[in-house]
Parts: sequence; structure tokens; C-alpha cells
Amino acid sequence: MSGGRDLWSAPLDEPPEDRVQGTWNLLQEVLDPEIPISLPELGLIYGVAYENGVARIDLTFTATACPCMEFIREDITDRLELEHWIDSVELVEVWDPPWTSERITPEGRDKLKKLGVSA
Amino acid sequence: MSRFTDEELMQKVQAGYMVEGPEDMTEGYRKALRVQLTVQADTELMSAPSYWMAARYAPSTNTQVSAHAIIQDELAHANIAYRLLEDIGESKEHLVYGRQPHEFKHPYGFDQPLDNWAELVVATGFFDRAGITLLTDVHENTSYAPLKRALVKIGMEETFHLRHGEVWMRRLAKAGGEARELVQRAVDWMFPMTIEWFGLPDDMKRHSGQLDFKLKGLTNDQLRQVWMASTVPLCEELGLDAPAHWDEAKGEYVLDYPFPCQYDAVDKHWAFDEGEISWDAVFERWKGRGPMNEIYVESVQRSRMDVERWLAA
Repeated sequence: MSGGRDLWSAPLDEPPEDRVQGTWNLLQEVLDPEIPISLPELGLIYGVAYENGVARIDLTFTATACPCMEFIREDITDRLELEHWIDSVELVEVWDPPWTSERITPEGRDKLKKLGVSA
Repeated sequence: MSRFTDEELMQKVQAGYMVEGPEDMTEGYRKALRVQLTVQADTELMSAPSYWMAARYAPSTNTQVSAHAIIQDELAHANIAYRLLEDIGESKEHLVYGRQPHEFKHPYGFDQPLDNWAELVVATGFFDRAGITLLTDVHENTSYAPLKRALVKIGMEETFHLRHGEVWMRRLAKAGGEARELVQRAVDWMFPMTIEWFGLPDDMKRHSGQLDFKLKGLTNDQLRQVWMASTVPLCEELGLDAPAHWDEAKGEYVLDYPFPCQYDAVDKHWAFDEGEISWDAVFERWKGRGPMNEIYVESVQRSRMDVERWLAA
């Protein structure tokens, strides 16, 4: 049980053609530290950009007092930097619009339901 | 009057029957469940003041938030367990506010002071790992359906506590110097403390009914092994000395010290060199409670009566 890192795969052999989409795909492997659904499924990722080896992630947290902020930041950075086409990660914290459970995707909702957690 | 005899209910739960409420229980089942839930609730409750008093050592506002989130979770988990006790006829009011400090059933480890950040993170690494070990077994095996459902969310939240503890143990151990010494010192007293937490060895275990009624699945010794299977490799990876090793011939973890042995709560020191003591002596120590018992219980109970009086005026 390691929380956010349970689904990590090995780095890609070849860089993806679409680096932004490739970055989103990697973020699908980064789970919430408590609940096994991904950060995009939870609706925490507001935007992804990629330029010259730098992946920029706009993200929010479920609450300003989210106790897992540090773990989430570490998990994103560590997973993305496993890729040799990502030299560094820039994390931009966004609080507007604020996160609500409305942001959870239908896939995320299905997973939560199966876990017995309502959203 | 129960619909079943103890024998009938034991056979039914062993065959997979799930108990939903008091109407399905025998008096024996209810008593065994009450003991189990009381230990669970008291452990969660008393971890809160223990961690709360140590959270002031947090090195940043962010880690302060994390530490307080853990405390909040522990209180919530206690609340769930006391709520389940109410379903079987116990009074939460009495259990939380009506008992004397020595009447609580939490382990001796939560009667000890946590004196610095390293001790808090080793506590979340070791004690919460023990909690997960015990509760995962209950979740997988319990015949009491309401408890099984409650443990889904509790298990997820405990995962975060554990990660918090292990990540910080790693950081401090890697830093070397004073940080590393403090972690080692915490491991020195908390490793045997957690080992003892799992209770009497199987060859001395008095009959409790918890296994017969399928309120748990693993024995004390098996649970101790599960805990060591995670904790000993973690310590080895971090270069920390833990007094246990894997014994290839026996196919299990073996302790490197006399078990059980005496503990000096003032110096936080286990008297390995004084040899093995009896379990009666351990029970005597547990019964006498540890140095923070009254302080922790008082911190939970202190304002209740005042506020009740104000509200009633």
C-alpha cells in the first residue's frame, strides 16, 4: 500500500508524439494518496502544457487544508520526471475555480461507488 | 433471548454468515465484539491527544496541517467505533466521558509521551502500521457486517498516516546526524512497544472467542509477523537498527531480545540485559498505565462537564 504510486508503469521507450496528451496519460497513473482514483479523475488537474522538456501542470486541491498536498506534489513530479523527455516539472497551484465534487469525472464516480464512497 | 446458541452461531459465522445486528447475536458474541470494539475505539481516541501534543513539533505549516489531519482522522475513527458500540447497547457518553483514565483499553504505547518530531513520525510509521495490520485482518475476516463496511474508509485514511510516517522516517534517516540519531532512538523504544502491543503469544493465549466468532482471522503471533514483515525491511532499507531479523530456517521473523521484557517509561528504555519477564509482570505494568495516561484522558474529558453546565444554566 503506497497510496499515490500503486499504478506507476515503466518510463516510455519513445517520447509520445503529442507531449501534452502524453503528460495527461502519465497523470492518469498518479493516484490520490488515500483513495485509489487518479488525480485527473478526481478533477484536480486544471491544465497541462509542455515546452522544451518542461511539463507545466495547473492543479488544485480538494481543500486549502488538504493534508496530502506535499505527497501529491511529490508524486506528480517523481512520476513525470521518470520520463527522459521531461526534464523538469512546474507545478502551478490554482484556487479559482475552487474544487467541488462536481469536478469528479464519471469514471472517477464509478470507481468511488465501487469503493463504497459517495461523491 | 438469542435465536442461536453460541455453538450454532460459531458454526454459522465460520461458514460465512454475516451478523447484521443484536438480534443475530448471542451474549457471548456481543461480549467478544464489545471487547474488540472498545479496544479499537479507545486506541483511536487516545492516539489523538498523543499525536496532538506532539504536532507542535511540526517543522512547517504544511506538515502541521498533515499532522492535524491525522489527529482529525483518528478522532473520527474513534467516533465510528463508539457509534458501533452504541448499536450493541453501550453508552458512548459513558465510554468517553464517564470512565477513569485507567479504565480505557488502549495499548500501553499510547500512554507514552512523544517528545519530538522524530517520535511523532515513527509513531505514525509503527503504531499506525500496527493499527492497519489489526484492522485489515478484521476487515477481511470479521463476521460483523456493520464493522466491515465501516473499515473501508478507515483503511484508506490510515494509508495516508502510514505514508506520512514512513516518508518522514526516510527523510530524517537520510539526513544523518542528529535527525538520524533521534529516529534511531525512537525506533529503539517504539519497536518493542509495538511488538508487545499484539499481546500474549499464541501458546499462552487464553480463549477469547474472537477467533471462534470470526471477529478476526489471524492470531496474535501471526499479526506480529505481518507487522514485522513490513517494518523490519523498512528499517533495514533506512539503515536503522531494529531488534529482529528474518530467520531462513524457521521461515519467520525472530526477535533479537528477550520477549517480553521490562520497560523503564521514564528513560524510554527496554531492559534487554535483564532478561525475559513473565506476562503477569507485563499485565501489571499495563494495568498501572503509563506516564501520560491521566494527562491524555483529561485532555479529552476536561471541558465536557463545564460546557454541559453552561448549557444547562
